[in-house]
Amino acid sequence: MAKRETPMIDELRKGPYPSFVNEMYKLQGRKPMVQDLLGQLEDSYEQRIGHWKHGGIVGVMGYGGGVIGRYSDLSDKYPNVAHFHTMRINQPAGWFYTSQALRTLADIWERHGSGLTNMHGSTGDIVFLGTTTAELEPTFAELTAAGFDLGGSGSCMRTPSACVGPARCEWACYDTLKLCYNLTQEFQDELHRPMFPYKFKFKCAGCPNDCVASIARADMSIIGTWKDAIQIDQAEVEKYAKAGLDIEGAVVAKCPSQCISYNGKLTIDDGECVHCMHCLNVMPKALRPGRERGATLLLGSKAPIMEGALLSSVIVPFINIDDPEEYEQFKELVRRIWEFWDENGKNRERVGELIQRIGMPTFLDAVGLDPEPEMISAPRDNPYIFFQPEGEEA
Amino acid sequence: MAAPTVEQIAEEMYQMVAESMGKKNLKANDLTKAIQAKYPEVDRDMCKAAIRILMDSGRCVYAYFGGSYIQLPHKEGAANE
Amino acid sequence: MAEAPAKRITDIGPPHFEKFLPPIVKKNYGKWKYHEILKPGVMVHTAESGDKLYTVRAASPRLIAVDTIRMFADLADKYCGGHLRFTSRNNVEFLLTDPSKIDALVADLAKEGFPIGGLGAQISNIVHTQGWVHCHSAATDASGVVKSVMDALMPYFKGEKRLPAKTRVALACCLNMCGAVHCSDIAILGVHTRPPKVKNDVLKKLCEVPTTVAACPTGAIRPANVDGFESVTVEEQLCMYCANCYTVCPAMPLNNPDTDGLSIWVGGKVSNARSEPRFSKLAIPFLPNNPPRWPEVVQAVTNIIEVYAANARNFERIGDWIERIGWPRFFKLTGIQFTRYHIDDFKHAGWTFKRSAHIKFDQD
Repeated sequence: MAKRETPMIDELRKGPYPSFVNEMYKLQGRKPMVQDLLGQLEDSYEQRIGHWKHGGIVGVMGYGGGVIGRYSDLSDKYPNVAHFHTMRINQPAGWFYTSQALRTLADIWERHGSGLTNMHGSTGDIVFLGTTTAELEPTFAELTAAGFDLGGSGSCMRTPSACVGPARCEWACYDTLKLCYNLTQEFQDELHRPMFPYKFKFKCAGCPNDCVASIARADMSIIGTWKDAIQIDQAEVEKYAKAGLDIEGAVVAKCPSQCISYNGKLTIDDGECVHCMHCLNVMPKALRPGRERGATLLLGSKAPIMEGALLSSVIVPFINIDDPEEYEQFKELVRRIWEFWDENGKNRERVGELIQRIGMPTFLDAVGLDPEPEMISAPRDNPYIFFQPEGEEA
Repeated sequence: MAAPTVEQIAEEMYQMVAESMGKKNLKANDLTKAIQAKYPEVDRDMCKAAIRILMDSGRCVYAYFGGSYIQLPHKEGAANE
Repeated sequence: MAEAPAKRITDIGPPHFEKFLPPIVKKNYGKWKYHEILKPGVMVHTAESGDKLYTVRAASPRLIAVDTIRMFADLADKYCGGHLRFTSRNNVEFLLTDPSKIDALVADLAKEGFPIGGLGAQISNIVHTQGWVHCHSAATDASGVVKSVMDALMPYFKGEKRLPAKTRVALACCLNMCGAVHCSDIAILGVHTRPPKVKNDVLKKLCEVPTTVAACPTGAIRPANVDGFESVTVEEQLCMYCANCYTVCPAMPLNNPDTDGLSIWVGGKVSNARSEPRFSKLAIPFLPNNPPRWPEVVQAVTNIIEVYAANARNFERIGDWIERIGWPRFFKLTGIQFTRYHIDDFKHAGWTFKRSAHIKFDQD
């Protein structure tokens, strides 16, 4: 069959930013699947509509996640993408690789799929884009033999992810990589066998800069912070000033809680600090987080579907999260949250939406957390209070 | 009534899935809740283990239609085929 | 081969990250002292031990061939002792201990078409979704729009033009927001604008009626017998085209080449720095879906970036800047038309109404 001309998407081979169409061209000579993908994509560009159908009943044996079924609605015209399933492969925490591991992954996908990948998908997984049902088990067998496993999809715990953390960042207030790996291993069953009302995501952010967007994209956001004084190196402060940094304008005036002063020496009223990170971001050589480090736990963020977008909100203002006992306490809290959500959540209801529906106080009672003023930006301003009879729990 | 074994739970779950095929999509939690209603002494972990027996043996499979459901294996294909 | 099949391995999880850390990272794990951005796309982290780790950050289209993965692996072997990492925004980062190798690495990357940049007060990669390359519910393509917008924004990626603060652009091709774009400085969001067309003849076969009804956030879907088929009807004035019904029921398609398009949202952030994290707000409700280069979208995003770069103060993210100048001035400065669609009319809409007499009047 003559190669289909693709003038519209070929336009996207031009320009300075790396082109995904060029990536497809690298493969199309040896991968009929990619040749048909280019053709179908050209159809989409001409007609301004997608040509994929819903996923259905496809996966590796025993797992309910990790494979997204995809079928072309133009399979007569483009038979090589009649099946075009995605596999999600659980990434190593922090997205570090050796060249050897990357070549192993590339070779597996060369043998069993289209050769197209996402490094990485939105949740954090390595995404293998495009294969047939028959190739799923052989791919899975090679992946597990190489030490990799599938990530999550569907109504399950999704693949946890973490920022670079202590591996390469001076601001990491807890070990994001270790916690991410630990949670992933602890909850393999919840990752692979959908048992929840809907998806549940963990994201481990080492500091309030939140490079993994946990507050917007994780049901459980674990954001590193510290309790004691910011560590100041006055000699380095002076060097910044000598180098021309306007400390008054760029640091003092920008502090959201106005707790910094400068008169040749930098003073911070740490009790007033809200841990926003601005001063540390501007003067990383002079300022470092305090020594009493841990994390703030926030719960419930999600994209709009279905009751509207949410940001996570504070459920535990500060925890230490380093040793096995602290890990276990955290996981016990997670299990209580899951149990309550399982019991009360509706189909496709995220935990944040459940809390919206039944009320945060009811949720706190159920999972055994005490109300604390750090959980709110202000007390309620409506008088519609559900009073409870004296001495009775909800 | 004696507490059921995990294999018995799996068998009861399998019957529920078989009966609901084509009528209602059941989630893992639907099966768990039904079993716990019938056998209050059965805990969630036992139900999880029973579902795993059904999956690992290939008697049941997971399907996805905006949520994850448990079904009997049937012809593979897109949801709208 | 007639060998017995090997035992199936399951539930092993990902490889332990320690296996992939470079020696210098293992040695200085948790003991980094500070970092400096040396030039656009290059930074150095200094450890308490005095060790220095150089990072070179390169752009990536995210959708990459195994050939490119192998090319990255070769470069990692040549320059980085076989180590590299990816970022949460799909950039690729090469980790070097020898700064004299940086220029050669950058030259090799350039030869392969991968420019470096995206650090600090620059535009980083656009995080995005699958679009027409792989998704059933996409209202637009993703990779093509991202490529077109990034081609235009390259001076801001490479640090050739300055920005007041870091600027995060994201794209999601429908309201499902696999890209969770709702807290980005600039979000490009594919939208449907017409209710689903119910396929009454096949609905019962493909979907559960109660699940489909329950999928609607506004209660617009009701069970109904249509032309003798057990199906549903859609109360069209209640529909805001979220496509949640289509996700659970393929017999409710919304994709429409003439009425699908893109919207632009601004001012969101996830970082806690200075101001609290917040959602992006609607700037442009609808732009046409115009492949292969989406000129209207490119123009709209470039315009917002340029007006922001010219008017914001140092360290102000787009949302901080708008907060200071006020939304009326944002619309005036950008020349974006304010419409009835900008005024929320969904649940809790009052939170975004102006509830004071604090109003600015232009003095020119």
